[in-house]
Amino acid sequence: MQGRTGPRILQPYYDIAKLFRKEALAPDGSSWVFLAAPLAAMACYLTVPLLIPVLTTFGLPLGYMGDILGGGFILSLASFLVAVAALDTGSPYAQLGASRAKTFGAITEPVVLFVVFTVALITGTDLPYALAATVRSSAGQIIRPAHLLAAAALFMVILYETGRIPVETHTGTNEFGMIEEARPFEHSGPYFAVLKWGSAMKQLILYTILLNVFVAPWGLAATPGLWPVLLAIAALVGKAALLGVVVAVIDNSFAKLRLFKITEFAAGAFLLAGLAVFTLYLGGG
Amino acid sequence: MTAIIATAVAAPSALSGGANVIAVGVLLAEFGMFRQALLRDQVRLYAAQSALLSALAIVVAATRHLPELYALAGLSFALKVVIVPLVLRRLLRGIGAIGGDPRWGDIAGSHALSVASAVLVAIGMAAFGFFTVAALGLRSPVLPDTALSISVAVILVAFVLMIVRRDVVSQAIGFLSLENGVALTALVVAAGLPLILEIAFLFDLLVAVVVFGLLIRVHHGRAESMSTADLTSLRG
Repeated sequence: MQGRTGPRILQPYYDIAKLFRKEALAPDGSSWVFLAAPLAAMACYLTVPLLIPVLTTFGLPLGYMGDILGGGFILSLASFLVAVAALDTGSPYAQLGASRAKTFGAITEPVVLFVVFTVALITGTDLPYALAATVRSSAGQIIRPAHLLAAAALFMVILYETGRIPVETHTGTNEFGMIEEARPFEHSGPYFAVLKWGSAMKQLILYTILLNVFVAPWGLAATPGLWPVLLAIAALVGKAALLGVVVAVIDNSFAKLRLFKITEFAAGAFLLAGLAVFTLYLGGG
Repeated sequence: MTAIIATAVAAPSALSGGANVIAVGVLLAEFGMFRQALLRDQVRLYAAQSALLSALAIVVAATRHLPELYALAGLSFALKVVIVPLVLRRLLRGIGAIGGDPRWGDIAGSHALSVASAVLVAIGMAAFGFFTVAALGLRSPVLPDTALSISVAVILVAFVLMIVRRDVVSQAIGFLSLENGVALTALVVAAGLPLILEIAFLFDLLVAVVVFGLLIRVHHGRAESMSTADLTSLRG
């Protein structure tokens, strides 16, 4: 990529391990929120996989306690907590990242809502397990335009949410396009490690939603045995790696947009999600 | 959970689902014309949209056993995917809009609204088309109803395109893609239309292309620009 040799695949893990051994510092005047937020956000990220089909086709014991909207709320709660911690520091960079993340989050929110509407119209419920089961049920469910449009819209939102396109470089420290990297600017040591880990987990969670609910809900364990689950883990890792390659190619083949052009990107995603609902609303689409 | 699934919107057959996907592709191409920044790509997008339309005609011909639709698909492919873009491209090259002065090939700034607002307005118009067709309760024997609503949406969005883009070529392309929307409607509601009529429509299109080409050349010759904003001086 980009004609250079990249870091090792496992480099993020080395980074996290290194950060866990460092001391943690908090800026003057910051309150307990600053230190609690990374851990609370991590707890949110750990809760969401209960609600979505990660490895099994059947719901986990608490799997039906929340639907896709519930999972979305928990993800935005995590993002809110990180933003509050960033505001707590009083550092201009962190505040800039937090305010941008919230502003653009509001722009992509309607897209997510319309994707959820589509799911609700297709399945009559908005449980992620139900949609995965519906997609598996027949080929007609896969090539109906509503499903394809909603999956494409969700993919665009995920590209934005994980900071791939349109304006950010994922790990860039160029302030023009800095959103994801700016928020934990003041955190250090284990707290920074937890934030980085959480952001990586969010990416995997979003990938899992796209893969196991929309695009490829195959290879999940249908029974709670050991082997089916091991197989499902291998399948998930394989699918996520494949999606990662696709995202990396997209990431590197498009020029980043200027910051205020983000509305065009969001309008494109909204168009796809809106059309999905329209075609469904008339029955059959 | 099976009871829950049963109450949902039933899946269409794989075939009508595929036809719908192609129709949605036609609509998305129409939306793509909103933000296209280069004249050359605008013409290409029109060719792609027409190719999708021909593909849909072939799908209908194969599934409904209407052999004359094969001829129509072939003819429409030859005319709209090959000849019309070729004529347009030659014309634009003749006045230097393609391959000449880059100023004239760039139509990125020709919006009356920002791209995002224009797309939102167009989504609103498309929604209007969708829901009016649903209210009419038309039924088509050859294609799913969704395709009919999509064709009406294509026509309305083409109108919005012609209104919000201020360069002459986008407006001409908007008109031609409007014809694509009409052809899609014709395919849905009257697939068995006599071939001779369809061919007559196609040649009308060729006349339109020639007329538009002439208008573009005249406008470019008089105003030295591709923008219709320069025409406001004609007001009394």
